[in-house]
Amino acid sequence: MIEWLYLAAQAAALAMSAWFFVETARSQRVGRRHFVGVGVLEAVLLAQLVVGIAMVPGEAGGGKALFFSYLVTALLVPVAAAFWGSIDRSRWGIGTVAASGVVVAALLLRIHQIWEFQIHVG
Amino acid sequence: MSAEPQARAPRSLADGFGRLIVLVYVVFAVSAGARAGYQVATKFGDAPVSFTLSAVAAAIYLVAAVAIIRGAARTALAAVGIELVGVLAVGALSFADPGWFPEPSVWSHFGSGYGYVPLVLPVVGLVYLIKRRRSS
Repeated sequence: MIEWLYLAAQAAALAMSAWFFVETARSQRVGRRHFVGVGVLEAVLLAQLVVGIAMVPGEAGGGKALFFSYLVTALLVPVAAAFWGSIDRSRWGIGTVAASGVVVAALLLRIHQIWEFQIHVG
Repeated sequence: MSAEPQARAPRSLADGFGRLIVLVYVVFAVSAGARAGYQVATKFGDAPVSFTLSAVAAAIYLVAAVAIIRGAARTALAAVGIELVGVLAVGALSFADPGWFPEPSVWSHFGSGYGYVPLVLPVVGLVYLIKRRRSS
């Protein structure tokens, strides 16, 4: 993992989450600008996946399948949440997508741990 | 409830705040389930109690998610109730007798490995389900 890219992904996930929770408080329906926000997060996560594919197989440690399963899950969760949230008429539509940002942040934390302690060793 | 026509149908359990709850339940069912399945398949003997309890927790998360989506209020209430009892019992047991848990389960130490979400989730779920039942 590239440290600044990991931090950028964390920042993107938490920023999206914070923004969408503000939208929840303002009772906004899920709209086009929110899909753009999800798209930005997805782009950073995709970059993270590309970097992972480039860097992880050459490392000495184990836990590589775990690394990619977490990363792919992190990629899928906001997309699934965006569709699941967009069909809601209440404020909790966007609130659901906001929660997915927290899930991504937690997954990224775990991905980073797997990289630090299991993959990037020796 | 979900079988009724949408226009006049009462708000389903998975609408509004229930939608966020379903997302969290699905995420936990998938992540705890995949992890427990992997642990049971590769190293069940290391911590049989923990891994079995994790698999049970994943199953309960799945039941709760499906019940809320389908509007089965009583099943949802039962699943979330069992979940709360489970996390409290396993959480207490993991402190009282750590020897049973050489590796943590989802509910060990009241879900500390998962940011205590396993403890908060059933409380939030119960409050939501009871409120919805009163209002209907």
